Amino acid sequence: MTHQDPNSQGAARHESSLESRYRKLLHAVPDAILEVDQEGRITILNEAAERMFGYTRAEFLGLKVESLVPAAMRSGHVKHRSSYAAHPNTRPMGTGLELQGQRKDGSLFPVEISLSPNWIEGSLHVIASVRDISERKAVENRIRVLREQYTAELTMKNEQLEARNQEVERANRLKTEFLASMSHELRTPLHTIIGFSELMAEQLEGPLTEKQQRFVGHILQDARHLLELINEVLDISKIESGRLELKRESFDFNACVEEVMAGIRHQAATKNIELENRNAFHDSLYADRVRLKEILYNLLNNAVKFTPEKGRVWIEAARQDDALHISVCDTGIGIPEKEQPSIFEKFYQVGDTTGGIREGTGLGLPITKHLVELHGGTISVASQPGKGSSFRMVFPLIQEQAA
Amino acid sequence: MKKILIADDKATSRELLRTVLERQGYVVMEAADGEEALQKALAELPDLILLDLQMPRRTGYEVLGELRKDPRHAALPIIALTASAMQGDRERALAAGFTGYLAKPVPLAHLREEVQRLLQTKE
Repeated sequence: MTHQDPNSQGAARHESSLESRYRKLLHAVPDAILEVDQEGRITILNEAAERMFGYTRAEFLGLKVESLVPAAMRSGHVKHRSSYAAHPNTRPMGTGLELQGQRKDGSLFPVEISLSPNWIEGSLHVIASVRDISERKAVENRIRVLREQYTAELTMKNEQLEARNQEVERANRLKTEFLASMSHELRTPLHTIIGFSELMAEQLEGPLTEKQQRFVGHILQDARHLLELINEVLDISKIESGRLELKRESFDFNACVEEVMAGIRHQAATKNIELENRNAFHDSLYADRVRLKEILYNLLNNAVKFTPEKGRVWIEAARQDDALHISVCDTGIGIPEKEQPSIFEKFYQVGDTTGGIREGTGLGLPITKHLVELHGGTISVASQPGKGSSFRMVFPLIQEQAA
Repeated sequence: MKKILIADDKATSRELLRTVLERQGYVVMEAADGEEALQKALAELPDLILLDLQMPRRTGYEVLGELRKDPRHAALPIIALTASAMQGDRERALAAGFTGYLAKPVPLAHLREEVQRLLQTKE
């Protein structure tokens, strides 16, 4: 309200009507408007001021403006009033401060005040526009309380989550420890079961009948199978806890293939299966030799297991650009198309179509896949039921120094 | 004749190892825990020790540590024997000063080869 009141003495009818319009304007404003003279006396006020502070118009006129300020602030207010006189301009009062007004009944309420100078016959009057911000403050307070509640809740949730994480970590550690100790406890008796069976099979302590030899052979075979299962369970737990690390070295790839084939030859021979090495990659390979053998052994073992008598099993391998392509193929019973995507899942075993062959943990292929992927490679299967399967792998060729 | 000390708290395992190694013509001594293994190793001065890692009283690692302090045993072939199959076990054993490492179950052919190899290396 910086308008100069155009009103002056001896106003015409028209002007009088204009003055009444200005007056209405003044009273329509929801903020309290006060004009204060140089001595701090209130000279003009609107109706909002009466409602806001609880003084009647008559009580207001002549009242020192300091009466509208909390007692504690009054002396300060007088000083501020004289400093405003030194630099009179339109500006908010007490920027950055929490201002309060005091009603006639002594109660306080938060306000925002804007000040404007009003020169009247060389004397500085000040127009104060006072806004009651109780509601806004209440909303702000409510928001602050809500925010604090929300923050507290969030902190609590975070703490719960942290505790939960620690619990999961602890459970994982316990699981790993359990598996390690279980594996140790299972291997200890297997050590002597396999060892004594081997000793008996060697017949150094005396000859066995043909039947006894066969029985000892069964014990040995099944004990070794049990050992494989224990190793697989341990492997999958290492893979799941991310603790399986590769130990890469440079080695003769073909010699490695030959070693694995030698390990499976006996099994293949008992089923009259022709085993063939069609490897065309005769360089050295930089990979984890033990794990690569495990990959090839798993695939060859499956191939022999699922190939009927007089079938064929072979390994193909060749370099293509910067990758080594390896396939393990057989003329076995194959895998139905709808089952093919699932065979790399944990504990999955192809159903009725395996002709009753269900031995194993169902962990061989998932482990194989993980081991291939740890090498940065991929594995996929192509298979036709009744015709055979081929497991195809692509390994990026890595240079030793680059790794 | 070469003397071999077998230290394993499992009697069946000791009998297995003893049977295999005696057939190879070695003289075999047994210890049923770590402390006994240490005392026998110091008293009998074997040519090779098969030392299980998990034994009562003293672990295989502790026995190894004590033996390696003795100059007479500084170069003695000592094979770690363990049913634990955790990754890095072999590396840890070799780094600690074991001469060899055999994981249980040990294929007998492998046991014979390893013992023979280390005894030959010693000569």
